[in-house]
Amino acid sequence: MRRPVIKAPLKYAPVKFAAALVSVAAVFAAATSCSPTPEATVSKTLKIVYQKSDSFTALDMVMQDAKKEFEASNSGVTVDLQPIQANDDDYGTKLALAQRSADTAPDVFYEDTFKVRSDVDAGYLLKLDSYLEKWDDWKSFSDAAKEAGRADDGGIYAVPLGTDTRAIWYNKSVLQKAGIPVPWQPKTWDEILTAARAIKASDPQVIPFTMYAGKGTGEGTVMQSFYELLYGTDSSLYDGDQKKWVVGSQGFRDSLAFLKTLYDEKLAVSPAEALDANVWKKVFGEWFPQGKLGATVEGSYSPSFWQKGGAYEWAGYEQEMGVAMFPTQKGQDPGGVSMSGGWTLAVGAKSKNPELAFSFLTTALNKKNALAFDVNNSQIAVRTDVASDPGYLAANPFVKDVSELVKVTHYRPATADYPRISTAVQVATESVITGKQSPEEAAAEYDATVRKLVGEDKVLEK
Amino acid sequence: MTTKAKLGADVALALIGVCFVAPLLWLLLASVDPQAGYQTKVPVAPSTENFRAVMTPELLFQPLANSFLLSAGTAVVNVLAAVLAAYPLSRYQSRFNKPFLYTVLFGTSLPVTAIMVPVYGLFVQLQFLDSMAATIFFMATTTLPMAIWMTKNFMDSVPRELEEAAWVDGASTLAALRSIVLPLMRQGLGVVFIFVFIQAWGNFFVPFILLLSSAKQPAAVSIFSFFGQHGAIAYGQLAAFSILYSVPVLVLYALVSRGMGNSFALSGAMKG
Amino acid sequence: MRIRRFLRLLPVFPAVLLLLVFLLAPVAWSFYASFTDAALSGKAARDPQWVGADNYVRMFSDDDFPFSAWLTVVFVVASAVLGQNVLGLLIALLMTRSRKAVAAWVGTAVVAAWVLPEIVAAFAAYAYFNWDGTLNQVVGALGGEGPDWLYSFPVVAIVLANTWRGTAFSMLVYRAALADVPRDVAEAALMDGARGWQRLAFITLPLIRSSIATNLMLITLQTLAVFTLIWVMTAGGPANASTTLPVLAYQEAFKFGDIGYGTAVASVLILLGMVFGAVYVRLLREQKT
Repeated sequence: MRRPVIKAPLKYAPVKFAAALVSVAAVFAAATSCSPTPEATVSKTLKIVYQKSDSFTALDMVMQDAKKEFEASNSGVTVDLQPIQANDDDYGTKLALAQRSADTAPDVFYEDTFKVRSDVDAGYLLKLDSYLEKWDDWKSFSDAAKEAGRADDGGIYAVPLGTDTRAIWYNKSVLQKAGIPVPWQPKTWDEILTAARAIKASDPQVIPFTMYAGKGTGEGTVMQSFYELLYGTDSSLYDGDQKKWVVGSQGFRDSLAFLKTLYDEKLAVSPAEALDANVWKKVFGEWFPQGKLGATVEGSYSPSFWQKGGAYEWAGYEQEMGVAMFPTQKGQDPGGVSMSGGWTLAVGAKSKNPELAFSFLTTALNKKNALAFDVNNSQIAVRTDVASDPGYLAANPFVKDVSELVKVTHYRPATADYPRISTAVQVATESVITGKQSPEEAAAEYDATVRKLVGEDKVLEK
Repeated sequence: MTTKAKLGADVALALIGVCFVAPLLWLLLASVDPQAGYQTKVPVAPSTENFRAVMTPELLFQPLANSFLLSAGTAVVNVLAAVLAAYPLSRYQSRFNKPFLYTVLFGTSLPVTAIMVPVYGLFVQLQFLDSMAATIFFMATTTLPMAIWMTKNFMDSVPRELEEAAWVDGASTLAALRSIVLPLMRQGLGVVFIFVFIQAWGNFFVPFILLLSSAKQPAAVSIFSFFGQHGAIAYGQLAAFSILYSVPVLVLYALVSRGMGNSFALSGAMKG
Repeated sequence: MRIRRFLRLLPVFPAVLLLLVFLLAPVAWSFYASFTDAALSGKAARDPQWVGADNYVRMFSDDDFPFSAWLTVVFVVASAVLGQNVLGLLIALLMTRSRKAVAAWVGTAVVAAWVLPEIVAAFAAYAYFNWDGTLNQVVGALGGEGPDWLYSFPVVAIVLANTWRGTAFSMLVYRAALADVPRDVAEAALMDGARGWQRLAFITLPLIRSSIATNLMLITLQTLAVFTLIWVMTAGGPANASTTLPVLAYQEAFKFGDIGYGTAVASVLILLGMVFGAVYVRLLREQKT
């Protein structure tokens, strides 16, 4: 016998149900609309976006001070600080997303020099030339520093907070044990190799001279290693006048060959260690303090790791460590090489109060605040008045040495294509130190990659 | 069964158990080691310093509270929407049921990072940025496919006869659902709730992108404050924070599974 | 009748609305974006252009993409279909014949790895597989010298890590499924001798067939989307050796800001999910008949 089919009743109370749905929707709408504050007609608000983290609080402190100063002297203006707690990559992502629409774009923000040109192309940054002309303090900025915020059209779109340089950091005891006199200043690449071999002979357990290579250490590979080599030859990465990328250069091959020599002769770390993204932590945290590393090329911010409160506190670093300029290939002019990066403050192109925003920028970058930032963050001063300030010079014993290097420093050609080209360079170094390719083969592959990336009309054979 | 066979199973299981616990060893040791690196080593001078450094309102308590709000909100919205959606799918046979279910299920293979750019744009348009409620609804949607799938299967195992009896007595469909079906699905709803809660608890990218003020960020985001500039990591504090951050979900799981008689029954969910 | 049917389907609407607005619309946009050169920065950010199938053409002529797709399949098969699935079944079977206390304790250990927030699990795995990490300390204690897992065998490391992380789900599914199987069948399944294995293969497994297929489908789809675990452990390295499709999509979209290319990769990922799904649906359907 078939079971009678019992139909569900239509006492579904559809009206009740629909009413329930509507009320949920209403609650939802109410809950979500209570976030953005409507623009008050009386007070103006400036939105400031910057990076903050457990170990990077220098900028936050500066911003808090600048906010107080600015609000005190500009009644009716509210400074809305919106720090983003994230690492560099995630910070960049969140900032880029915010800049896509005028509603969310910040008025003033913390911008990597690395991204300036690309973001100018995207229309995110405001051209500052007319404002800078009227700002007295601008004259105190060193000429090299002013380049940090320059874009392809020649205009200035960002103002640097500080900068950094790269140099050879060496452990005095290790070198002295190998009979190398300190202070040490190699004049050519060969002198580096000679010294490294001497260290190896004196103590096989010690890593004589390592330089970053491969994709693991990312931008560090090029900024703290490859470019110091390349820019010390007669070649370069990018021809600024013709706006073309250089391929097929002897200097590129020589630089790769130098790295190969270092790694083949076991003067550097093992390739496996080099490819570990965290190898620099061992450099700062273990090898230097324990005298297991002779020398490496690292940034001017190195003391920030060893200072009190740093990630790898080392009370003896001031006596144990020394700084030397990275030499050019054969000692040719200008005798040394360094690379600079650093961060800037910029004004959003879509800002509703550009004058006010720039005014805040000048407050955040006045002498007092710039000094505080540079000292707390182990940065090199870009303002000449800060650079000669006794408080700045006393921050750590290496300040003077690393600041000198600004004279021979280069900035990356940070166009929109740059990130992929940088990766191609890293790949080339990795192929060479792992023995996968010879310097010639790796250089040829780099050339092919660059041609594919930017097109034939943007490359230059040199 | 022979005791030898039982011992064999015990030993094999114990071995597996040890393998599963091993990676957590670092977490425990590093959290009490003020000089922790990423190597597993017994601390020279164990202390609670890391925990004390981490247990501040700004670093821990506020983010944990936000995590609770986001995760619980997500789980509640999920269960509600899933129960409502599962009912017709389970009770009314239609040729659209299976295709709908499968289409919806393919959503689980999507890495959410892929759609964050348009979602961000959407939130800007609708003025949903920095809104906990909107973020909750979005996070709920990302786990909704799985939730509907599991809920529907749990509902399938509740016999229709019981509802039919209620209907005969004059109850409306909604009332029958509420008073007959749902209580019998309690365990299944618990499973869905905990599943969604755990996923939401660990979600970093979504709240990071959609919430702007640091006061609203959950613990999954604030954990990154231990990853400092230039990539330096405060290992000991990271480990301590991780433990404190994981304890709530572990406790919740223990509670829910005990409430179900220690038989965290996924059987109902898996009948396809 | 029509009204009746409409009213019956009404409860589905909230879910459908959420899915349309928050999932389907963004996915549709992403798919559209994969045909443009949309970017987070640079000229294309201001003025994205339609480039047709350029991104897709580029994917196949690129060195990274085919390898990444292949690696993703390997990762899914090794860590989900084999790793989590088989291990989960094995643990569930063992639990039916072991002491209750042991089963409870091991169950907790296995589940702990699953319940942990992903970033915590990822970091614990990183510390474990590191050259100086726990695994090599154990190997060293046994007299050997462990390799640098994350450098020399990154795929092995991420497969093991994902197995560690996700086995709990399969274990729970199979425990429940086996609970429905007559007790003596399950117990006898692991007895020594050929008869035990045959019972397992020909009696027990067929009884829980639908659970197996459904479990496989769910863990496959979830494993396809795994990102944070791999990102924290190896960042896709060394030299893209462990870059699965989600990692590649993220790198392209957010490290390079190339949204167009990143969404193209993500589209392929969804396609891959559909292929896997179709295979399992087939399996499920065959059982029903």
